Amino acid sequence: MAHPTTADKIGMYVGGGLLLLGVFGIGLLEMLFGATHPVSSDGQIQHDALISVELRSTVMIAGVVILGLVALYKVAVGPPRR
Amino acid sequence: MSTRLDADLLGQHVSYDVSGTWLAYWLVVMRVIGGWWMLHAGLDKIWAWPFDAGWFVGGRAAGTTLGPVVTLFDSGVLLDFVNVAIPLGQTAIGLGLIVGALTRTAAFFGSFLLLFFFIINGETGAWSHGVVTVELLGIAVYGIIASTGAGRILGIDAYLAETDFVQSHPRLQYLVG
Repeated sequence: MAHPTTADKIGMYVGGGLLLLGVFGIGLLEMLFGATHPVSSDGQIQHDALISVELRSTVMIAGVVILGLVALYKVAVGPPRR
Repeated sequence: MSTRLDADLLGQHVSYDVSGTWLAYWLVVMRVIGGWWMLHAGLDKIWAWPFDAGWFVGGRAAGTTLGPVVTLFDSGVLLDFVNVAIPLGQTAIGLGLIVGALTRTAAFFGSFLLLFFFIINGETGAWSHGVVTVELLGIAVYGIIASTGAGRILGIDAYLAETDFVQSHPRLQYLVG
């Protein structure tokens, strides 16, 4: 088993963590403490966000960008020597 | 045929047998579905050439979180570049994923494109059906494809990875596979 490098851990925990925070963490907060979420007749959720859409976007973007930067870093430094 | 999954995640060691055949099978299925998604989107634009992304780059994207970056490309030579890069890029990503050639590179750029679609389509529609959209799931699927080297299963990358050129340039293993 190849052990994860520091870059791998940054990607997984910081990048993936931010992505999951934006998707799941903020989503759960909205569900529990946000405004009511009436659903229109065509299935659309009527939003009145507790946390702004822009902030949620920024958190998710940061997560994906960090994962992407880790991928680029791994290409730049190459695989570890055996 | 089973294969051993060994991992350390969040301080916990995980080790169990998975069916290597089923794992490989689903990786190929994900590659073909994710590839056709992009190939179809790219070819649609090429068949209906010329393609004009101005409505998206300069219109829909404005006012979103990615607006300040994307709207830089809303006119002139930069828009001309986008008008060519998007159809050709989607087509190349789709082909790469389906035939398993430079699969990791294709998956990376697929995720890159999808991040823009995810945020811009999501924000302008206020994620009216929730933030878990096809684009977000696409980013996750491409992440799986890239990190598992899925192109080596029934793909051209199985051959490319064994070439002397790739063997003598180890970092290329992160582009094929």
